[in-house]
Amino acid sequence: MLELKNVKKSYDGTPVLTDISLNIEDGEIVSILGPSGCGKTTLLNLILGIVDSDGGQIIYNGKDITDVPMEKRGFNIVFQDYALFPNLNVYQNITYGLRNNPEISSKEEVEDLIRLLGLEEHLNKRISQLSGGQKQRVALARTMVMKPKILLLDEPLSALDGVIKESIKDRIRTIAEQYNLTTIIVTHDPEEALTLSNRVMIINEGQIAQFGRPEEIIQRPENGFVKKFILNQLEIKKNNIFTLFAGQLAQQAQVG
Amino acid sequence: MRKNREIKAIFAVMAVFFAGFLAVPMISVLVRSFTGNGEPASLAYYVEVLTGRGFLRALGNSFVVSICSALLATVLAFILAYTIHYTNVGKRYKWLISKAAILPMLLPTITYGFAIIYSFGKQGLLTKLFGRQLFNIYGFNGLLLGYVVYTLPVAFTLINNAMGYIDKRFMIVSRLMGDSPLQTFRMTIVIPLLGTLATSFIQTFFLCFTDFGIPASVGGRYEVVASVLYAEMLGSIPNFGNGAVVALIMIIPSVVSITVLHILEKYNVRYNKISPIELKKGVKRDAVFAVLSGAVLVFALSMFVVMFITPFIEEWPYRMNFTLEHVQAVFEDRQLYGVYVNSVMVALITAFAGTLIAYGGALVTARSTVSGKLKKVIDSIALVTNTIPGMVIGLAYLFVFTGTPLQNTFPIIIICNIVHYFSTPYLMMKNSLSKMNASWETTAMLMGDSWVKTIARVVTPNALSTLLEVFSYYFVNAMVTVSAVIFIAGARTMVITTKIQELQYFNEFNEIFVLSLLILFTNLIARAVFRRLARVSESRQSKAKVYKFSVKKKAA
Repeated sequence: MLELKNVKKSYDGTPVLTDISLNIEDGEIVSILGPSGCGKTTLLNLILGIVDSDGGQIIYNGKDITDVPMEKRGFNIVFQDYALFPNLNVYQNITYGLRNNPEISSKEEVEDLIRLLGLEEHLNKRISQLSGGQKQRVALARTMVMKPKILLLDEPLSALDGVIKESIKDRIRTIAEQYNLTTIIVTHDPEEALTLSNRVMIINEGQIAQFGRPEEIIQRPENGFVKKFILNQLEIKKNNIFTLFAGQLAQQAQVG
Repeated sequence: MRKNREIKAIFAVMAVFFAGFLAVPMISVLVRSFTGNGEPASLAYYVEVLTGRGFLRALGNSFVVSICSALLATVLAFILAYTIHYTNVGKRYKWLISKAAILPMLLPTITYGFAIIYSFGKQGLLTKLFGRQLFNIYGFNGLLLGYVVYTLPVAFTLINNAMGYIDKRFMIVSRLMGDSPLQTFRMTIVIPLLGTLATSFIQTFFLCFTDFGIPASVGGRYEVVASVLYAEMLGSIPNFGNGAVVALIMIIPSVVSITVLHILEKYNVRYNKISPIELKKGVKRDAVFAVLSGAVLVFALSMFVVMFITPFIEEWPYRMNFTLEHVQAVFEDRQLYGVYVNSVMVALITAFAGTLIAYGGALVTARSTVSGKLKKVIDSIALVTNTIPGMVIGLAYLFVFTGTPLQNTFPIIIICNIVHYFSTPYLMMKNSLSKMNASWETTAMLMGDSWVKTIARVVTPNALSTLLEVFSYYFVNAMVTVSAVIFIAGARTMVITTKIQELQYFNEFNEIFVLSLLILFTNLIARAVFRRLARVSESRQSKAKVYKFSVKKKAA
C-alpha cells in the first residue's frame, strides 16, 4: 500500500501542491486527473522520487521512503514521449535493464511480456520506424521487465489516436490485473481516467478535489470544480454521442 | 507558375555573383598551379613544393598542432557546457560561463599572438606575475595556446547548443534501469553527443589548420602551411605557381573534413521533445565543475588581460605609470583612425549585402517550388564556401583581379568577406525559413498579394530575428578576419587587421592593443545592439501569436 501524508511542494516560493494525503491499495489502477498546471505531474514526480517533497511523508508498505532515492524505491515510469533510446533497437530497449541486473526477469518472462504486448514482429526495428502505439508498448515492456512495485504512467494515451487508444487501455488493464500491479496514471482527459481506472483522484490548484470510484464521481460530485471541469465535459460528449445514435436508439426503443 | 519568376531572377543574380567571385577565381588557382606566372603548363611547381625540404615538415607540423588543439578545445568546451547543463551551480555563474567562453571570438587572431607574447614572453605580464617564464612561447606551445583559445568559442557554441537539445529525462530512465553513474553518463550524454563532439573536433581542426594570424606572430621557426603560403606570396619575389600549389594542398584536409561532417550529420541523435528535469543533487560534482570551468576560462582569458593594461602604461615594463598617451596617439593619427573607420564601414556593408545574399539564397531553397537542381546549386555553393579557407580565397582574388579596376578597392574586400562567410548565414536563414508555415505564400496570394508583397509583409517580418543574427554574424566576422584579406587589402584600403599585421613589423604593440580594443568594443556593442533588436522583434512576433490565440479562444 502506498500512503502519502501531508505532502507539500513549492517552486521558488509558489506552492504547487499544498497538502496532499492519500492511500492507494495494492493492484489498484488510480488516475490522477486535472487541468494543466494543477500539480499532477509534480505529484507523479514526488512518488517516483525525481523531486524531493518540502514536507510530509511518503510511506510504502509501512516503510517511510520519503528520503529513499529514486533508484532504490523500486518504482518505474513510462514517460509521455516514451524516452526510448534512439540508438538501440526495440529488443535492446526492452532488455536494457537486464544488462545491469540480469536476474530481474527470466528469458521466459521477457518473452511473455513481448507476446502480451504484441511486439514479436518488431524486435529488430529501430525506434524511429515505430508508430506511436508501438513505441508506447515498447516503453511499457521495457519498464515491466524491471518488475516495478508501482507502475507510473505519464499521459499514456494523449499522443495516440482513436482505436489505438482503446487497445492500449486494454493492455494497461491486462498488465495491471495479470501482475497485480499498482498503477498510477496521470491524465488530463476525464473520459480516459474514468473508463480506465478503479479510482480517480481529481486535483485542482494543488489540492485533491475528489478521490473516489468513477461512479461516485459521476453520481456525487463533491464540489463545483468537479461538476464544471469533469462532468460538464462528459455531459457534452454524451449528448453528442446520443444525437449521433438518436435514430438507432429510437428504433431499438420501438422494437423493445 | 508566376511566383517562380522572381525566384528565378534571384537565382540568376546569385549564380552570376558566385560564378564571378567563386568559380572563376578558384579555377584560376588551379590553372596557376600548372602555369605559375604564365609559363606553359607543367607539374614543375608541384614537384618544387613537394620536394622542397620545408614544406612537408610544415604540413606535418600543421597536422600535429591542429589535431592537438582541436582535441584540447573540444574537451575544454565539453567541460564548460557540462557545467552549464548538468550541474546546479548558480544561474549567474552559468550566465558568466556562456558569455565569457565566446569572448575570444570577438578579437582577430592576429591579436592572440601579441597577447601571448606580452603575457607569457620574457617581459610578459604573467611572466612577471609568476616570477619566471612558464614555457617557451614561440613554436608549438604558442600555437597550441593560441589555437585552443581561438577555437574554444566555436567548440563551446556547438556543444552547448547540442546539450540543450538532449532530452534529460533519459537520465531518469537510465537510473531507474539500474545504470551506474558512469553508464548513465555514457548512455545519456556521450552517445547522443558523439556526432557533435566529432563535428566540434573537425570544425576546430579546420580553423587551426587554415588560420594565419596566430602563426604570423608566435609561429617562430615552427612552420605551418599558412605561413609557408604567406612566405611564397609576399616574399621579395612572389611565386604564383608555388602559392597556388600550397593553396590547393591546404584545401584537401578541409574538403575531407567537410565530407566527414556531412556523413556524421546522419548519425546525430534527434529527440522529439526536450523535457527539463530537476538535476540530482551533487555538491561535490558542482564544486568540481565550477572550479574546472573557472580554471578553463581564467586560462583562456588571462592572456588578454595584458591588452587592457599595457596601452595605458608609459613604457612597459620600464616606466610603469598610467597614461592615456597611446590611446590619444591612435585617435590623433589620422591614418590609424582612418583604418578603424574603414573597418567599420567594410563590416557594415559586408553585413548588409551579405545578409541580402544569404536571404535570397535561402528564399530559393526554402520557400519556392523551383526544380531541385537549382536548389542543389545553391546548397553546393554554401558547401564549397565552407570548405575554402579565407587565405585561399584571398589568393584567388589576387590572381584574378590584379590589374582590373577592382584591385585595391573596398568592394573586393567586401565581396571576399561575403563569399568567405556565406555558408553559416545561409544555413541559419534556410533553417529559419523552412520552419515557417509552408502555405503562407499561397494564402497571401489568394488574398491578392503579389510575391514581393508577401515576402515584404509576411515572410520578412517573421524572419527578422534571424536576419539580425545573420547581420551580426557577418559584421563581427568581417571585423576580425585576417586570413581572407591579407592578400587583397591595399595601402589605401587598409582595414584594422591588415594594419595590425603591418604594425607587427615595427613592434608597435601599444597601437596593436589599442586597435584590438577598438575591435573588441565595437563588436561587443554591435552584438548587444543586434541582440536587443532581435529580442524586440521576437517578442513582437510572440505577442502577435498570443493575440491570434485569444481570438481563436473567443471564437470557440
